[in-house]
Amino acid sequence: MVIVKRKELSLSERLYLPEIFRGMSMTFRAMFKPAVTRQYPEEPLPTDEVTRGQPRLATNDEDGSIRCVSCGLCEAACPAYAITIDGQDTDRNAITIAGDVTEKFIEREPKEFEIDMLRCILCGFCEEACPKDAIFMSDELELADFTRKDLIYGLDKLKRPVSTLRPRIDYIYKVNERWQASSSTR
Amino acid sequence: MATKYMDYRPGFAQVDPDDPIHGELMEVNIGPQHPATHGVLRLAVDLDGETMVKVVPDLGFLHRGKEKACEGLGWAKFFPHTDRLDYVQPLINNVAYAMSLEKLADMEIPQRAQEIRVLLMEISRIAAHLIYLGTSSIDLGAITMFFNTFKERENIYSILDAYTGHRMNNTYVRIGGVYADVDEKVEGMMREFLDQFPARVDEFEKMLTGNRIWYDRNREVGVLTPDQARAWSLTGPNLRGSGVEWDLRKNEPYCGYETYDFDIPIGTVGDCYDRYMVRVEEMRQSCRIARQALDRLAHTKGQDVLAEDRRYVLPPRGKVMESMEELIHQFKIVTDLRLPKGEAYACVEAAKGELGFFAVSDGTASPVRLHIRAPGLMNVQAIPLLAEGRLLSDVVAIIGSLDFVMGEVDR
Repeated sequence: MVIVKRKELSLSERLYLPEIFRGMSMTFRAMFKPAVTRQYPEEPLPTDEVTRGQPRLATNDEDGSIRCVSCGLCEAACPAYAITIDGQDTDRNAITIAGDVTEKFIEREPKEFEIDMLRCILCGFCEEACPKDAIFMSDELELADFTRKDLIYGLDKLKRPVSTLRPRIDYIYKVNERWQASSSTR
Repeated sequence: MATKYMDYRPGFAQVDPDDPIHGELMEVNIGPQHPATHGVLRLAVDLDGETMVKVVPDLGFLHRGKEKACEGLGWAKFFPHTDRLDYVQPLINNVAYAMSLEKLADMEIPQRAQEIRVLLMEISRIAAHLIYLGTSSIDLGAITMFFNTFKERENIYSILDAYTGHRMNNTYVRIGGVYADVDEKVEGMMREFLDQFPARVDEFEKMLTGNRIWYDRNREVGVLTPDQARAWSLTGPNLRGSGVEWDLRKNEPYCGYETYDFDIPIGTVGDCYDRYMVRVEEMRQSCRIARQALDRLAHTKGQDVLAEDRRYVLPPRGKVMESMEELIHQFKIVTDLRLPKGEAYACVEAAKGELGFFAVSDGTASPVRLHIRAPGLMNVQAIPLLAEGRLLSDVVAIIGSLDFVMGEVDR
């Protein structure tokens, strides 16, 4: 426990005028210190793989096919109800995870995948929930448009080649390395 | 004909209602748009000349139904909503909510996660107190302070940005720990910040503590006696400013606070000035705790930051891709995270007082009831107590010194 001191004013502080000059000198000195403000649109904040920007859908580099299988887990995880998925059957051949063909066929793909960017709060729960490495938080942060309708992003606006999202994917795998010693089969 | 009124507080200006100089009372609205009300608080004030006869806080302008929202959203999805309660200290809110769920689920939290939580909470506390210092001083005309404190706060937000990816609304605490480990870069930034920060606090004090205007407008203004503070269930710096030694970090330790070495500052008089001094001292103490937490993190390097409990914690990412069982866990936890039947109350010492979450579960994926014990609500309730009988200009100092955020008051 520490009892805070109650300072009594000294004579110069009571007179106030000397203190004004002391304060002015402080202000004057601040003029020669480097500026801490940032000229925003010209000089944006640096982003890196940790930045949680807008969610984007990863597409395979090889053929541009989407990784999403419309399982709906991101839709279920979204606290803002921003995601809407409409799935459809597909029989296309799949190229998956980092070039290794781990699955021959993908049965489902999204017909429509919409993220309402006006609702999205960039919490990253969709990225955390996705079991197919299909949705990731990009470093794209800026969001402005003229109509509300244009801010409901469909597949055309959400798709990104997986190579552009690679740093983020590596980061997510790194922070989610845990329980190395154990397995789920008890 | 003069309006009859009574209940003047002893010790303040006594007015004779029959004196013809006192005309009718004038009703004045302070807020909800006034910047000095720290959000959307409306005060209905009855004025007699410049003396406030009656002050009635009007709440609810920022009501978003958070408690009810949780009943629909479910346990895990409520985390982003806790950020937006007291939006100047999101990580403390996250921890408090996570603690109540962990109590319900009877989970053990890894040592490293506890240390990271302490570190983040103390950093957030500094950020929240900086907001207090900035906004309460700009209300009283000290604009320089506002820019200086916000400059420091930007440093904190840059650290949180490097760690969580967001400056505000971090959502980085999960049931069972924290989402990601603190890496060397973030640790280095924290150390750099904590090394230079005490000197900055001294500078803030130099600007305010002996400042004649600050002194005159805060001394003996809004005096809260220890009994009053207890009766109105005030907590945090407001209670300690009145000289009551009560800090949940000491009295009901959580997250291992009992093992940290720090002092809790208390005031003697209980006026705005004491509350200011308590908060300034608390920033220094938070620095001390954060430094100790950083030192401890060096010893637990490489340990898990999420408890290994497959009922509530998502499986590791790599294994979801390989193992069917992990995939089933992933689906189960995301879509249907059930907590055991029961009730749990967990509270932390937030920057503004005791922040508690009371969760009632019936064993399903969403709570039957979630009550949030927000310290800001009690702080708002003390405004009439402190302001009635004083001059109108004092209400600004009182609101500033009580320090609340309407996001958690109205929730």
